[in-house]
Amino acid sequence: MAVVYMRKLEEEPETYDSKFTTLTKGINLKVQDWVLEHINKSESIVEVGCGPGKLAARMASEDKTVIAFDKNPQMINVAMKNFPRDQDVNLLYQIGSFSDWSLEDNSKELIVSTFMLSELRPLEQQIFLRNSWKALKPDGRIILAAEFSPSGFWKLSFKIKRWWYRKKLKQRKQKKTSLLNWFFKYIEPIGFKITDRKKWKHGTIQGLELQKVKVNENDKLRYYQPKHKKFKGIHSQLRIYRCILSGQIDRVPIEPGIYQSGNPDRTSPIIVTANYEYTYIKVMRSLKHIDAWVLCVDSNGINVWCAARGNDFGNEQIIEAVEATNIHSFTEKKTLILPQLSAGGVAIPQLPKKSEKFPFKIVYGPIWSKDLPQFLNERPARKPDSMKIAKFTLKHRIQAGITHTTFLFRKIFLIPLIFILGLLLTLNVFLGLEWSNNLWWVGEICLWILLTNIIICLLFPLSNFTRRFICKGIFFGIINVIVLGALTWILHNSIWYVLLNLCLFMWIAFFSTMSFSGYTMSTNPREIQATYPIFTTINIILLIASIVLSALGLILLNII
Amino acid sequence: MTEIELDFRKIMDSIENVRIYVNTTMCNGCGLCGEICPFGLPQLNNSGKFEIKKPELCTECSACQRNCPNNAIFMQEQKGCGCLWDARQRKKNAKNNNACCPPDNNSCCS
Repeated sequence: MAVVYMRKLEEEPETYDSKFTTLTKGINLKVQDWVLEHINKSESIVEVGCGPGKLAARMASEDKTVIAFDKNPQMINVAMKNFPRDQDVNLLYQIGSFSDWSLEDNSKELIVSTFMLSELRPLEQQIFLRNSWKALKPDGRIILAAEFSPSGFWKLSFKIKRWWYRKKLKQRKQKKTSLLNWFFKYIEPIGFKITDRKKWKHGTIQGLELQKVKVNENDKLRYYQPKHKKFKGIHSQLRIYRCILSGQIDRVPIEPGIYQSGNPDRTSPIIVTANYEYTYIKVMRSLKHIDAWVLCVDSNGINVWCAARGNDFGNEQIIEAVEATNIHSFTEKKTLILPQLSAGGVAIPQLPKKSEKFPFKIVYGPIWSKDLPQFLNERPARKPDSMKIAKFTLKHRIQAGITHTTFLFRKIFLIPLIFILGLLLTLNVFLGLEWSNNLWWVGEICLWILLTNIIICLLFPLSNFTRRFICKGIFFGIINVIVLGALTWILHNSIWYVLLNLCLFMWIAFFSTMSFSGYTMSTNPREIQATYPIFTTINIILLIASIVLSALGLILLNII
Repeated sequence: MTEIELDFRKIMDSIENVRIYVNTTMCNGCGLCGEICPFGLPQLNNSGKFEIKKPELCTECSACQRNCPNNAIFMQEQKGCGCLWDARQRKKNAKNNNACCPPDNNSCCS
């Protein structure tokens, strides 16, 4: 199902309805019918995310009072044009959303929202549920429809389709919608029960009817807290390896929210971190069961440093996390301890001043989580250098090297290597050679890529004589030519073959060094963006020369 | 020349190629920048103000500038991070100039 594609359609409100119907193959109309079936007599209804307003108009025509919100002003414009207000129809379109509506508490009977949930991030979904709970009368209901991930066999086909649509979206630089992975977990803790559920398309689109559960009159707002997540043992160790192996490519999010280290109480500090699984495990392990509240903001499953630079860990996320989790009711401490590296995204002066909603002061903690216990213990006004300076040590280089090498194989070399394998196989059959002849060459290239990257990550400090990555690339190219050249000579004992392959060795090292730049913390956006055109030129020249010369080398080796 | 004039000249002289600079008249020496710079570049000078030693080592993460309570840090912020693949994304799509690993994409590297 293709609700992923919704954001694209939203850019053109005029045609949104018809295109969305095509996209869902008419299911959105069935959803509307289902919603209308669930509406009782003379209810006052709020619709959130009304889009071009069709459902709201249909509801209003059945003699109901409807307020329809959408945060996109253009959508509201179109809605007002399409469904002008009649005298006798009680329909009001408003720009707004659940986060800023001004509805009285306990005032509404029904809140309707179709195909909006998947545009909300996990914490926003919680805020939506809670704000609705607040606005609803006792026994009031929410009627929802959204895209969910189906179960069993259909999950696979759903995932493939979703992957395909996302690829298309990426080419068009479109925002994607998020899957409602954890939504069902929030319903009960926030104070609702499911009273009806309808599935379309094997459960890829579902309709839900939720009813507000209220025990007594002074029932307070309720908040959801994710279950404790293990951070020790084989499973979490495997998750660590999974993150190291796919670091540059995959996001590995855990549920954002409040976690507990040790047995925190009302005097325990609040540690804020990202919701990348690796980060979570590392922070929890570093804390060594010290009593503390660990608040994982929704950084989209990205580590702190990258998230801060990419608008995924900033003021917005911190404010959202504080609002969605009600962390200030857990502890009397009014300080949020942030990771030092999040400072690239957070701006303290722009945060709301101490208020009831945001009663916190921000302190930047140590740069590495391993120093957290010492930091919590001493609370230094000035951190010692070891707590604040980032060094690219051997350990970090090895980890970065592993992540980077897997990235190179998966995203850069995989397809060309398969292509070369196929080409060699065809040539062998075509030329009447043994089919397995020459195939070793592909294995050898893999070995060279691996060796080159080991050399780069081990010897990286040697290249500190220059800040320019082009020079670093050429420097490692020369080292590579010497080392791999010697190895090739030992393996093949042919000086011609060695000479013809030197360009390839140069290119692998040059390309890998340049690609490694993001890990080294020794470059900046200006430099690397200025270097990029020079890089592409050198890269193309070296690559073409490598292909020609290495192919020649292979032919030569076969003839002699 | 007064201190302010000197300061002004210093800024004007270097504004062309300056990467990052602490305006000493506005700096109150609180030291927050020194606490958050991952490379320890802001250092206390003799007059109790902070100053960026070795600006060439700056990765332009903007942490000091965005957190300075007195807006004393001047910096020409360039969007993005120091990664080649991020630079590639930006070259390919000059319009999408809002973040490292543009948030709409799964990662900057694919």
